[in-house]
Amino acid sequence: MDYNLNHSQSKNQSNRSLDRWLRFLEWACPSALYEGIEGDLLEQYELDVLTIGERKAKRKFIWTLIKFLRPGIILRNRFSLSIINTIMIGNYFKVATRNILKRKFYSFINAFGLSIGLAFCMLIALYIQDEKEFDQFHENKSSIYRIEEKSFDTWRHDSVDPYNRSAWIQTGLAPTLKDELPEVKYATRYNSDNRGIFRYEEKVFTESLTYVDADFFKMFSFPLIKGNADRIFLDKSEIVLTPAIVAKYFGDVDPIGKTIRIDDEGEKSYTVTGVIEPAPANSSIHYDILISQENRSYYERNMNNWGNFNTPTFVQLNSDADLTTFKTNLDKVIDKYMRDKLEKWRKEATVQIPMDVKMFEYEFTALPDWHLKKEISWEKVSDPQYSIILGGIAFLIMLIACINYISLSLTTSASRRIEVGVRKVVGAQRNQLVYQFSFESLMLSLASMVIGFGLVVLFLPAFNEYTEKGIALTMSKSIQLVSVGFILSSIVGLLAGSYPSLFLSRFKPAAVLKGGFTSRLQAGFTKPLVVLQFALSAFLIISSVMMYRQMQYITTKDLGYSKEQVLVIPTQTGWNEQANRAVEQVRARTSSEPAIASVTGTSSSFNQGYSRYGYKIKGEQKSAYVYAVDPSYIPTLDIQMVAGRNFDSAIASDTMGVIVNEALVRDMKWTDPLNEYLNWREDSVGLGSPIIGVVKDYHFLSLEQKFEPMFLSMDKKNIGYLTTLMVRLKSKDLAGGLGKVKSIWMELFPDKPFDYTFLDEDVAKQYKSYQRWMSIMGLATGFAILISCLGLFGLAGINAVNRTKEIGIRKVMGADLRAIFILLNRQFILLAFVAFCLAAPLSWWFITTWYLKDFTYKVAMTWELFALSMGAGLLLALVTVSYHAIKAALINPAETLKYE
Amino acid sequence: MTKRIVMNKDYLGEFEELVLTMVGILQEEAYGNAIVNEIKERLGRESNLSAVHVTLYRLEDKGYVKSSMGGATNTRGGRRKRIFSITNAGLAMLRTMKEARTDLWKLVPRLNYDLL
Repeated sequence: MDYNLNHSQSKNQSNRSLDRWLRFLEWACPSALYEGIEGDLLEQYELDVLTIGERKAKRKFIWTLIKFLRPGIILRNRFSLSIINTIMIGNYFKVATRNILKRKFYSFINAFGLSIGLAFCMLIALYIQDEKEFDQFHENKSSIYRIEEKSFDTWRHDSVDPYNRSAWIQTGLAPTLKDELPEVKYATRYNSDNRGIFRYEEKVFTESLTYVDADFFKMFSFPLIKGNADRIFLDKSEIVLTPAIVAKYFGDVDPIGKTIRIDDEGEKSYTVTGVIEPAPANSSIHYDILISQENRSYYERNMNNWGNFNTPTFVQLNSDADLTTFKTNLDKVIDKYMRDKLEKWRKEATVQIPMDVKMFEYEFTALPDWHLKKEISWEKVSDPQYSIILGGIAFLIMLIACINYISLSLTTSASRRIEVGVRKVVGAQRNQLVYQFSFESLMLSLASMVIGFGLVVLFLPAFNEYTEKGIALTMSKSIQLVSVGFILSSIVGLLAGSYPSLFLSRFKPAAVLKGGFTSRLQAGFTKPLVVLQFALSAFLIISSVMMYRQMQYITTKDLGYSKEQVLVIPTQTGWNEQANRAVEQVRARTSSEPAIASVTGTSSSFNQGYSRYGYKIKGEQKSAYVYAVDPSYIPTLDIQMVAGRNFDSAIASDTMGVIVNEALVRDMKWTDPLNEYLNWREDSVGLGSPIIGVVKDYHFLSLEQKFEPMFLSMDKKNIGYLTTLMVRLKSKDLAGGLGKVKSIWMELFPDKPFDYTFLDEDVAKQYKSYQRWMSIMGLATGFAILISCLGLFGLAGINAVNRTKEIGIRKVMGADLRAIFILLNRQFILLAFVAFCLAAPLSWWFITTWYLKDFTYKVAMTWELFALSMGAGLLLALVTVSYHAIKAALINPAETLKYE
Repeated sequence: MTKRIVMNKDYLGEFEELVLTMVGILQEEAYGNAIVNEIKERLGRESNLSAVHVTLYRLEDKGYVKSSMGGATNTRGGRRKRIFSITNAGLAMLRTMKEARTDLWKLVPRLNYDLL
């Protein structure tokens, strides 16, 4: 490219930059045409330099040059190339296969690294896609809305967002909206997860009931297998089942027209009039058994009570409905039905509520947005942040996997210099060499895509379990995944192939074949990359170890009561006196059983719902959690008393008294709690309940929360009945104890199902979402570690190849294995160290601000954690790079030096 | 009576025709840059070097011009020129197009002439 411009030396600099552009054009342009084009460009440039000055001329030159990159020029390339390709492709294939097989181990590692990256990305892509597709299958999705309430919270009046938002709405709203608002086409209420005892012939089990309205079947696209959507629920004693329930009770018999009995606070008969497909995994609504809302307990009373929020409500609007009018109409409904109540609330509030603040409002969310609207608590609701974080991790892992693939390919191709030399001598054109190398690399990357897809299929069930999703690989999804994977791996393959091919094909054959030839693979970009990927792995290691330790801490922390070996059994009697009698019966029957230590009853176990009462004392708004208990509650759970005494069934007045926790004492600022009264019923005549004891604070709430005021009471009428039975087993033989309890249950209550959980499992369930995240992070960490080790392996390989000769000389001069080992590994240790220094503060920040902030009780982040993670990471790095170091150190120097 | 204008089934675009004409005009000096400058000089019209090149290659594909490399010069960084010359088919095409135009022009009513 040494053309002579008749210009002075000083212009050489600019000519060189023009030269680069020309080279680029030469690459893009068919060689037959190139000379004429280049000449024209230069001629014009020379002319322009004289007329418009050098700078402008140069700009014009470049611009004109760029315009040559048009299809009319570039596409002319193809004709000459396609001939070579078709002839040589068979040969490329053969050579590629041979090369891959020759270095089985390397090829495997290389392909495997990329497939892991691809597999991880595909899984995350599936996850994100599933999140996006949640609830999208409903035909009427764009016109279905969930009504939500937004109410001013006097407890939080001074916080940034002093509103409560919830999807729980008055029972009367759905019929009212349908009757009074012209926009509303259909409306249904939806109460899921009600437990009821289902009875058909001799089969009796507890099932989850869902109460809906007739419009439910018209609004949502859940197909009915049997029955007519327009006629279901004309009568309130109709029932619709899913095929699973049908199979469980009816077997192969057609269930339509059969009568079953269900006990949900009162037994009723129902006739099966429909069978409905179950909701898919990516649905915000789910059900097993559908019955009409009118069967809910206290239905009539709730219909008229606009202060009682007890059901989610969905509406479908007419297609021409205007959302602003709908909102105004909702406000009118509030004004009509709730005005008196709202004014009363405003007046009674302990804080002054400004008149411009609305006490209460209805809001609504379109069906496709339910799943990611995390402000409203809902089953399966998800945080869009999860998708972002996972997507980010997937992107990073993919990036690292790709660059690793490239650096690993570099290592292997370096040893093929001689091959390139011979090929050139025999007459291979440079282009052909480029195609050959690219083809090989492409083959390997496509193979890794296939492996990656295989990994996806293999890991999908586990992934579904981790993420609690039900993603199925359908045909269309597989095709999507494979095609995206194909494009990705082709790009990576070409990129990975292009650098070594361009690099190797540049050698002068004579120099290569003569032997006196040293070259270094230039892989400068891999060093920062190693730091980056090690930093990422270190970040993930520290984060997941931290999550693990927090989980450990939570599960082993002393909660202030003993949660082991306690069975939790619902009494299945409903909310009445029978519940307490059932507890008594069990206690009386088991008192002589050696396997059972003690029996107690309570209103609810931990993490199975709670009651919280709000009350005003001396003008101050207070609240406390309440549990109905019996005298054996405290001893059975091993709760410690700090003052006073336990309830005593012999003292009749104890039903009036309460036992409070220390947090309540602090909240009330009592100094002598045993002489105080807790007037939680706001009794204007009496003093309230006398305090008969104080228990040491125990974690009746999740460890995300701090100790809250709480009291225990035996007051059946005002607090509640003992609807939950707790049985402490004596021995560690849980299965035996459980069998014993079950047989006693069947003997005492033969017509009631025996449902049970273990207390420690109930408690652990509170942290399920954290457990899930820990698993996902663990998975990501595993992937990241594996991939960064592969990358390090590649870099170490390049390093060893580059220094083969140096090592040979050093060995001749007397260096031993140890010296060479240190020589080769020193820099990696340094890189890993730098990576850790970057990762440590980052993970500290991540864990403290994002993860641990949810917990009030948390494990401390100590320096040992960092030291340990760093040590483990360094060790891993060392093991990885040692392969090359030892291999290089063991080569006989004569081998490497014999050509000199 | 309508007279049917017979056109060759190959059709030349306006710019193609212009470039082809320039090749005819410039004779031995017909190469990319010269054509660009000639168009500018004679018609005052700016054209793209790359567009001219592409057009020339297209004309060559169609067989209206042929090209050969000229001798090396001191200018142009020592690069040779690709000189284009018009073929008989190209000349015939130009002639056909010109005649077709003239025939069409004759069909424009006389009346309009007077008005001009």
